[in-house]
Amino acid sequence: MKLLKPWITVLVGYLLLKFGVPLVGSVLHPGTWPVVPTSVMKMYVFFMVAGALLINSFSEEGYNASIGPVMDLYTNPAKGRLRMGVILVVGLFGAYVAYQYVKPTFDAPVELRSVHPAPPSAAKAWGKSYNLQTLKNPFREDTANLAKHSEEGGKVYYQNCYFCHGDMMLGKGPYAEGFNPMPANFVDIGTIAQLTESFVFWRISTGGPGLPSEGTPWISAMPIWHHLLSEEEVWKVIIFLYDYTGHKPRVMAEHH
Amino acid sequence: MRSTKGIMTVAAAVALAVYFAALTGPAIAAAGDVKNGETVYMKKCWWCHGKEGEADGPGADFMIPPPRNFADGVYKYRSSAPDSDLPRDEDLFRMISDGMPGTSMPAWSKVLDEKQRWDLVAYIKSLTDMFEDMENPPEMAYPSPAPSSPDSIAKGKQLFKDAKCFECHGEGGKGNTIKKLKEESGAKLWPRNLTQPWTFRGGNDPKDIYARITSGIPNTPMPAHAAEKTGAGKLSVEDRWHVVNYVMSLADSRMEVKEGEIVVKGVYRETLPTDENDPAWDIAEGTTFFLVPQIIQDERIYDPSNNGILVKSTFTDKEVAFLLEWDDRTRSVKGDPTSAMLAWGALGSDGVAIQTPLDLDNLASGKPYFGHGDASRPVSMMYWNSGDVEKGQSGSMFSTIGSGKKDVSDAAAAGFVSTGSYKDGTWKVMMRRNLVTDAKDKDTQFAAGKYIPIAFANWDGSNGEIGSKHTLTTWRWLLLKPETGSAVVMVPLMVFVLLVAGQFIFSVVGRKED
Repeated sequence: MKLLKPWITVLVGYLLLKFGVPLVGSVLHPGTWPVVPTSVMKMYVFFMVAGALLINSFSEEGYNASIGPVMDLYTNPAKGRLRMGVILVVGLFGAYVAYQYVKPTFDAPVELRSVHPAPPSAAKAWGKSYNLQTLKNPFREDTANLAKHSEEGGKVYYQNCYFCHGDMMLGKGPYAEGFNPMPANFVDIGTIAQLTESFVFWRISTGGPGLPSEGTPWISAMPIWHHLLSEEEVWKVIIFLYDYTGHKPRVMAEHH
Repeated sequence: MRSTKGIMTVAAAVALAVYFAALTGPAIAAAGDVKNGETVYMKKCWWCHGKEGEADGPGADFMIPPPRNFADGVYKYRSSAPDSDLPRDEDLFRMISDGMPGTSMPAWSKVLDEKQRWDLVAYIKSLTDMFEDMENPPEMAYPSPAPSSPDSIAKGKQLFKDAKCFECHGEGGKGNTIKKLKEESGAKLWPRNLTQPWTFRGGNDPKDIYARITSGIPNTPMPAHAAEKTGAGKLSVEDRWHVVNYVMSLADSRMEVKEGEIVVKGVYRETLPTDENDPAWDIAEGTTFFLVPQIIQDERIYDPSNNGILVKSTFTDKEVAFLLEWDDRTRSVKGDPTSAMLAWGALGSDGVAIQTPLDLDNLASGKPYFGHGDASRPVSMMYWNSGDVEKGQSGSMFSTIGSGKKDVSDAAAAGFVSTGSYKDGTWKVMMRRNLVTDAKDKDTQFAAGKYIPIAFANWDGSNGEIGSKHTLTTWRWLLLKPETGSAVVMVPLMVFVLLVAGQFIFSVVGRKED
């Protein structure tokens, strides 16, 4: 029983990783089931198994009980047939694992990409330079007319943005599936809800090619909007995005 | 045992509850609240459908098909009995909930609850007087479907011809029409490609197809076929089912994009296929990519017609070849009267392009911009187009450092060959060139065994697609897989021998120690 304990711990740990972690994720983000990546899973299971073996080998009797049956299998003259079988199965399993590594596949290579790279301190658009630390949405203060600005921003959105970002702002517009990375989901708490309006302004105005290299500017289909829209239109579409989703833009602490 | 029984009972109760909840749908429909519906509509729907429901919202001009005009009260997709002009409430509810594949209408069930969707049904019905004092029409009867069989499909095929379905939908069903079609409003309309059931707006269940054939699609040239007896373009109930079975048999999943498949699988061969129709292409496995409109730089295009491209590749020690296949309703050749008659806007040629980075050795630090590259990272293109009546089709190779900044390459020196042919609504184009060329500053130097970024562009010349108005893919991958070497056998074999030998030694040593 004592020897079984570490193994039960391993099993519980495995189940927590396999189902517990995705469950927490599904509660935080309903509709998702974020599994632990296989490579990370393998690593954890390896350490848990190694740990269990280590704990069981602390005592002489534990060591014998763990290793004893294995030694018996390989050395007991009465178990010749079983031994042959185990030796073959272990060999074949090793060959199978090796084959999985060397067999020809057409799997796509893994590419890393930073979704929200650090913004530069200044951005250039419409032939001007903007200080992103101090930049504010000029329409945000005009609270009396915010609904009007939002509707005008909405018009910009449905004539330019919805094709990819979608009618529901979920990043699932009619052409979204043709792009990789997928267009941003504005309803998700991980996008505009975490960003300042100046960051959003920078990302829209300079588009994919305006990203630093960790943001893989070469593959983002986000247009350089300052080529296609006016500065006012960009600020208004930002008002619309926050208004429609109900998110509040992040505000930087004022320096005193 | 007892607990298992308990679980079963609970499961049955839940299943029954869900079943009855589903049955009560129409009851909620009757209770749809116009006022609540208006609130939702003014937040989510008017942007395309317009504030008065007249299909004139800000987004309306940027989509084909255009949004439904609720003020007209004419609906395309309905399951009501054929003698009714109105859709059923359930039809409106379904279109709102599930959206319409291949259009801008998304599945609102993702963000609106059932009550809100029924409220919307009530509200959009209030935008026209068509529904005033009208009962919800009864559902169409779906009498005794003829089960699908080779015989039924053959009958359906003949009826498809007799009832002149092929005139718009094409002989193979790819929508390769011989007539120019319009919505009643005059809006551009391309007939459905029946080999792509995942794009059927009103659903692809046999019942949906039966309903379309029976009642037609109002506002479009698709006529109603319901009749007691077959003849004069009409079809009997039984014959409509044969046509349904024929339409179902046309489905071709090769052109459907498979999620996660982003690699063109280059297969090694001793010799290359001679042209695009060479049966030798059958050995290569194709990968299909979405084609999306170029909405990134001016001039942009919002109403593309072609939606996917299937790519195959094979290579030898010297050359690489690509087969590009896409469904296109029109063979567009400049100067051709049929092409001109079918075209929307100025007639252009059909075309296709393959883009790869010029320099494959420095990709770790970044790729070229997917749209024509940039000054620091140029791209290399292989291009083919259907040309014009006089000169015929042609191909070329060039490199670019951004849109419109091209440098033509010596295609003949690169061994470049391109040929294309159009049949029954499908273009097949083969492009071939030497892996390695002398023009290292203009041509990609292909090599086996490495992942090569690759992108595609496509033009439908009858759909106003000229110059920057085209469809495209962003970067995907090409892998020219070297011939499977001995490693694939040797490595597992060595692991096997080592493991077996190791265990034997362990066993022998262990016994000696005993």
